[in-house]
Amino acid sequence: MAQLRLSGLTKSYGSVHALRGIDLEVEDGEFFVLFGPSAAGKTTTLRVIAGLEKPDGGTLTVDGHDLSGVPVKRRDMAMVFQSFALYPHLTTFQNLAYPLREMKLRRAEIDSRVRETAELLRITHTLDRRPASLSGGEQQRLAIGRAIIRRPRLFLFDEPLTNLDAKLRHDMRAEFKRLHREIGTTTLYATPDQLEALSIGERVAVIQHGRITQVDTPDRLYARPVDRHVASLIGDPPINLVRGTLKPSSAGAPAIELPFMELDGDRWREGLQALESGTELLVGIRPHDLALVDDGAGGVPATIEITEPQGDITILDLKAAGVPLRMVVAEATGARYTAGDSVHISLAGADTRLFLSDSGTMVA
Amino acid sequence: MAATYHAEHGTLLERFFERNRGPLLVSPALAVLVIMNIFPLLWSFGLSFYRYRANRVKEPEFVWFKNYEKVLTDPVVWERFQTTAIVVTVDVLLQLVVGFLLALLFEKTFPGRRVLLMLVLTPMMLSFVAVGAFFRYYYEPTFGLLSQAVKAVTGEPFILLGSEVGALAGIIFADVWMWSPFVMLLVLAGLVSVPKHLYEAAEIDRASWWRRFWTITFPYIRGLLLLAILFRTIEAFKLFDIVFLITEGGPGTSTETIAVYVYRVAFQYFKTSQSAALGYILLFVVIVLTNLYLFFVRRRDVEEQ
Repeated sequence: MAQLRLSGLTKSYGSVHALRGIDLEVEDGEFFVLFGPSAAGKTTTLRVIAGLEKPDGGTLTVDGHDLSGVPVKRRDMAMVFQSFALYPHLTTFQNLAYPLREMKLRRAEIDSRVRETAELLRITHTLDRRPASLSGGEQQRLAIGRAIIRRPRLFLFDEPLTNLDAKLRHDMRAEFKRLHREIGTTTLYATPDQLEALSIGERVAVIQHGRITQVDTPDRLYARPVDRHVASLIGDPPINLVRGTLKPSSAGAPAIELPFMELDGDRWREGLQALESGTELLVGIRPHDLALVDDGAGGVPATIEITEPQGDITILDLKAAGVPLRMVVAEATGARYTAGDSVHISLAGADTRLFLSDSGTMVA
Repeated sequence: MAATYHAEHGTLLERFFERNRGPLLVSPALAVLVIMNIFPLLWSFGLSFYRYRANRVKEPEFVWFKNYEKVLTDPVVWERFQTTAIVVTVDVLLQLVVGFLLALLFEKTFPGRRVLLMLVLTPMMLSFVAVGAFFRYYYEPTFGLLSQAVKAVTGEPFILLGSEVGALAGIIFADVWMWSPFVMLLVLAGLVSVPKHLYEAAEIDRASWWRRFWTITFPYIRGLLLLAILFRTIEAFKLFDIVFLITEGGPGTSTETIAVYVYRVAFQYFKTSQSAALGYILLFVVIVLTNLYLFFVRRRDVEEQ
């Protein structure tokens, strides 16, 4: 069990700045997700925490103890690598027992702990086989097993599901949640997959270009992204960002001029007060917030470009006044339309957010 | 039909060339191989069953296995085998140790690594004659470097090749100097094939250096190590050039390896057929060694699956 604190961590490889000042606090027993696109600095952050890389600057403490200068061996952390890094010439049993061997445990103790862990991860049937003969999911579980068997104070997972197929990924996500509930060890989990990040993280840090842009609970990340980048990383299909101009409406209340409609700004009155009229904005509209309406009911005319059936839902790619928009409808509704059809849409829902056009930060 | 149209026409000779182009192209190489290699091999095998001396005019006489019997019951031959066994064992062992340590050194990057690596590999590329001549001068009692160095300390010249142990050591040192780089190359190839993340995982799992080596590194170099042992054992078993150039088998017969002995029997005692028989016994030993290696490799492959 451990509370982890990073402040101002920097790391460069030559002219490449992998980390540009990472500040992070992970609470004791928390399942914390580090989410960001590839090459954002997730892996480097984990490697610095594990001690495999030396940071150029900043501090790293666990339970208040500074870890700089503490060798990897004495950090008492376990890491699961993206490549799993299973020992190819050892059996499942030997792989699991590997971290225990340095703990000077009795043979019977090692044996019972290996069996217990194998049981927990359902790989008992593979105990005397080598990693090469295990399936992807079994290798994955073995890699996790090797990490948890030592009962370290901190888990580091580096994109552990990236190398698995979609179905397995789904199963393993549930597995991680179950494991964490049973073991309760502080966990830092890096992933480039938003579904993974939102579904298993208690809190999620969004990391981009070596900086953390937002730390929040999954639902708040979705509902209140701090800037347009976070907004476009979270949500599937991605948010629609439409250019608009702030202008006072005739009644004095703020309004936003979009290419295809005028948006009543009353809902964001507080955030908009500080802005001058004429400010360029980006309006973030979630695909779920667009709805089809009957012709003549006051909707915005649009043309369907592409329909993408997903089974239960259908994604419609539209164009309204030349602006591409994406929306989601029920499969039964989507089936009635084909590319080229004209429809009318309306904007509903409270999840629409406004961002400054130049800096991308959220205003309301 | 269109393809064979050509062959139906022209003279008989042209048609023959046309039809047998492939075999004809290979035939010069095959001819050289047969004349220079396979024929002498079979011929000497035949000779080993005759009583025959190359410096006599007497008709060869067929004597069945008498030459083999004579060679195998000859205590001198067994003595030479013993000398050879000592040389092979110590020589190969030292080459493995030195080659291994060199590989561990060159696995890391450090300034000057390329130049140093080139220097270390040089002995392997020299000819045996050069190495032999070089070490002969190196060990020379009056003006040799070794003797001079010892003299500077003790005041006495040092005759390494004068004693039995010294002569053996001198020969083994020269061979180790020449062939350790070969072992190094093979081991180095194994070392760099180990995925780096395994070492990181082991570090996080808190494995000691020793255990990391045996469980991760060693399995990757085991096969190449076996190969190095096989190659070096066979070569050391046949060791002739260096011995002949440095000591000529002396002092007495203390460094006369079996290969040197075969040479003596053939070209100094002119017992041609006996030396042929001994040569085939050597070949047999090498074949056994090779098969032993293949056996180990196959057993390992089975284990892996």
